[in-house]
Amino acid sequence: MTKLAVENFSFRYREDGPEDLKQINWAPTPGSFNLLIGSSGSGKSTLLKAMTGLLPQFGGAITTGQITLDDLPIATVAPFERAKRFALLFQNPSRQFAMATPADQITFALENIQTDASLIPEQVATALAAVDISTLANQKLMTLSGGEKQKVALATILALGSEYILLDEPFANVDPHARHELMHLLKTLQIEYGKTIIVADHDFSGYTTLVDEVYQLSNHQLTQTDASVLNACITANPFFPAPSRNNLSPLALIDVRIDMAGRNLLQSANFALPAGQLGLLSGVNGSGKSTLFAAITHQRSYQGTITWQGQDSQKIKLKQWAQLVGLVFQDALDQFVALTVADELTLSQQHSHLPDYWTDARIQRTLTQLDLAEHTNANVYQLSGGQQKKLQVLSMLIMGQPVLLLDEPLAGLDMDSMHQVLDLIQTSLRDNQMSALMISHQRIGLKPYVDYEISLHERHLDTGGTQ
Amino acid sequence: MTLNPSVLLIVLLGIGFPMAFTQSIVANTVVCCIALLYLITHHANLKTIGLVTLVSLPLALGTGWSFIAFGTGDVWQQAWLQVSRLFAYLYLGMTLTLTTKVKEMLLSFVLHLHLSPTFAYGLLAAFNLLPRIQRQVKIIRYSANLRGITYHLWQPQLYFKAILSAIQWSDDLAQGMASHGFSEGFPRTMTYQDKLPKWQWLLAGLLILIYLLLSLFL
Repeated sequence: MTKLAVENFSFRYREDGPEDLKQINWAPTPGSFNLLIGSSGSGKSTLLKAMTGLLPQFGGAITTGQITLDDLPIATVAPFERAKRFALLFQNPSRQFAMATPADQITFALENIQTDASLIPEQVATALAAVDISTLANQKLMTLSGGEKQKVALATILALGSEYILLDEPFANVDPHARHELMHLLKTLQIEYGKTIIVADHDFSGYTTLVDEVYQLSNHQLTQTDASVLNACITANPFFPAPSRNNLSPLALIDVRIDMAGRNLLQSANFALPAGQLGLLSGVNGSGKSTLFAAITHQRSYQGTITWQGQDSQKIKLKQWAQLVGLVFQDALDQFVALTVADELTLSQQHSHLPDYWTDARIQRTLTQLDLAEHTNANVYQLSGGQQKKLQVLSMLIMGQPVLLLDEPLAGLDMDSMHQVLDLIQTSLRDNQMSALMISHQRIGLKPYVDYEISLHERHLDTGGTQ
Repeated sequence: MTLNPSVLLIVLLGIGFPMAFTQSIVANTVVCCIALLYLITHHANLKTIGLVTLVSLPLALGTGWSFIAFGTGDVWQQAWLQVSRLFAYLYLGMTLTLTTKVKEMLLSFVLHLHLSPTFAYGLLAAFNLLPRIQRQVKIIRYSANLRGITYHLWQPQLYFKAILSAIQWSDDLAQGMASHGFSEGFPRTMTYQDKLPKWQWLLAGLLILIYLLLSLFL
């Protein structure tokens, strides 16, 4: 059994910056299921990447201590030797593959660890079967859903034979059903294959019965806590009413139908967006929520009519349409136009539809509320995932389009940050009579903010609220 | 017969390099004909060949015209030489790019021409990213629209952002590859195998020799 140990380890990304990890000591028990928790920006990703040797190889520097693999410093072990012992599953499933199909990707990984060529086809098949995706073997990775991609990543790690499986928020882009499935798959791997599982996550639901040990990162330091912290946050899923049918916004869908690659995703959707309210668009992953947003924002084709004040929206040029319906992208980096936080906000302020509302003073106040005030000169690409989400939402709220679509604005946010962002959205909507529709897999904690719910279910847009 | 991509590359370079210096219209025309014949017998997409020819026609005419208008000596000979050279390069290049898949091509270079696997897999990953880059450019233009700005295709800001995204991806990709055990400078198994009989190298040498003789004496 391999022994992975973090010894008095401190790390920082920037030479003149603060330490991102401070004196971490951790030797995960072999064969255990560990959950690593901590607010966004607390250093969970950094720790996992350091434990797999990706840091400092890809940036930053160790300031004290070391991480060892069987008592050897991890940096002295070649990547192919490391991969046989531990592997990391990344947060963004689409960015970890070099090859075009699942079979090619797993073959590539097995070639890297110098598996005998004659054994590779069989091992590829076994790995795909273990996570139940044999049918996807030769499909293009680009066409798979988030959950399917994470299964491919997991199959690759299984094929490599890694004893430690580290997962960095692996469910951030995965629907609840696939999440449940993947979590139990991990448990099976622990029990039947003796793997050591380390998952970083801030959505605690479902872990209580699975985990052996819980670790918490706060103020860049690691402490072991007991599993009771997981229960504290779990409450029943809230229910939301149906959308109101009076006081409507100018946006409506009439008989909208969406096909994707010959497959029908949405059948005849009719919906008028209520004014001045925040709606929740729910539905399992792959049901077409983001695709519906893409249709509404004219980023993809659809049949039927999307109207603005009763007129066909296709008669409006994209440039103008983008000033009527705003979109908060799922991937924060897609949103940013400028390089620094300050430039990003100035840009929005210059083109804002609500210049009197978004004064310098209000923006400054909001930045403080969002814990972003200290980062105004920071490069947007260097912010943590959570900070990027906050900046992204704020930039679009300052723009102040009358209708705003938000695609997973809460993904990757811890509870505190989530409330900060929802508070901000709610206040801006109320003060300016804007209308918004939000996609979120996270339901817990939404009760005080969400006015109504519509859901995409088996190709139908259900506007009856939660039954 | 199908030539191995590595052999095709050697033929390409072996003929392409001297072609830049030789003065033989006949040799260039022969290259065009043989290349076209190879393309047609290997079921290359005729539409693509036609389109490439059509697009390069005005360029060829422009080049030819400039030699006729501003050249010295036998201007017609010079013009035809340039035009035939342009098409010879074009069809010669297509014999490789239109008849082989990128993956087969790169892995063949690794097997037979000592191309570094790091380079090959890096390039392969980049090719797999191409459709995503196209989509990204669309997203960048739309995200600018959302903020009240318009990026036209000729504006450098658009490409600056595209390059930023690509750098971000390349870093993620490098980490993903390392995490899946890819190690620079270490041996790795190659499951990809292709046929390269010795006669293909002989044929390559022969083709290059024939071109050199043709271009010297005709």
